[in-house]
Amino acid sequence: MPGIDESLVDAMRLPGARGASLVDWISGLALGAVGDAPAGDWEATAAETAELARHVAENGSLGAGGTAPSDREPAVEDLIATTADAYHLFRFVSTPFDSTVFLHLWLDRNDGNLALARIRLAEMADRLVLG
Amino acid sequence: MTRVTTTWTTQGTTSAALGTLAAEGASGALSGERGIVYLSAGRVVHVESAFTPDLGALLTPSGAVPPDGWWDAVDRGGTQHRVGHRLVDSGRLAAGALEVCHLGALFDAAYFLLAHDTRAHRFRPGASHWLGAVRSVPVDAVVRETGRRRALLDRIWPDPAIDTAPLTRVPDARAAGLPVRRGRTLTQVDGVRTAAEIASALACRTYRTLVELRRLAAAGLVAPAPPAPAPSVPTADPAGGVWDDPDTALLRRLRDALEAL
Repeated sequence: MPGIDESLVDAMRLPGARGASLVDWISGLALGAVGDAPAGDWEATAAETAELARHVAENGSLGAGGTAPSDREPAVEDLIATTADAYHLFRFVSTPFDSTVFLHLWLDRNDGNLALARIRLAEMADRLVLG
Repeated sequence: MTRVTTTWTTQGTTSAALGTLAAEGASGALSGERGIVYLSAGRVVHVESAFTPDLGALLTPSGAVPPDGWWDAVDRGGTQHRVGHRLVDSGRLAAGALEVCHLGALFDAAYFLLAHDTRAHRFRPGASHWLGAVRSVPVDAVVRETGRRRALLDRIWPDPAIDTAPLTRVPDARAAGLPVRRGRTLTQVDGVRTAAEIASALACRTYRTLVELRRLAAAGLVAPAPPAPAPSVPTADPAGGVWDDPDTALLRRLRDALEAL
């Protein structure tokens, strides 16, 4: 069963992966990180990306209106941000106890495969907390 | 075996004492006014505080671990300080889930201990926590994160009394249209309970509960309760007692479990 570090190392095996971290979005704390940090500093990156995740998780507009109601909290599963040379993929981790974490994967845009990464990151998030 | 000097006693705050012990690569338990920090080779392996629910209180009410499974792990792993490993080895909890929950509890407890940074009481070299090794964090990361959380909470509503005082609802304040979690938190505010007790009642992370309570305070819905007129003996949770011996936490839990049978 993978712990935080093993999950992040797993994520780094995806083609084009530059860096990966697990972030607590209510506080902005990086619980673990491997590879390069987008701004050269995981602490700063975690604090900034957590602000974004917190807005999305706590405000209902993106999660509302679905036809398939779920108990999942937050309702949003992933966020994707793109830049000229990279993708940022954020996956909210749904845990059986109260927690507020997401996986952040930084992918090179030339080498990375966003669709594949999205599927794999979702699997990794589940494995991390469900085994 | 690391050699621990008594240099930490000259430090005026718990965080400074921790810095000294970290530099010495110390292992043991440092007690402060609001909790205990467990160190292993100079790194923080666990923090406990009467102001935050422990791992069992986070894992069992949510059904993440059934109560008998939790107590079985405490029973079999407690004396060897391997409760965390037992939970994972017996297949009751995923390794990642244990780490996420443990780090959440560690930093939440550290916030209470270090945001109110008084002089440390004592250090017990070699003492370790019954949970056992899960993940370790550098002392400076814990101190830095505590400062950041205090600033984040103060930005929402700059009243630290919300963190520790009994809380009451502001009369006649309109509380319509609150987000679900904030509304749920508000229903637990009864003039008696503190943030820690509200977090326990909801089986919620304490820091997240503090965020919601400070938001409710900022919205004029919640305020610290005025002091009770009669001297009342706080019948707080078993953890509300004295933090003299790291093993008393385990003993108290065992006693509570036996009483619950």
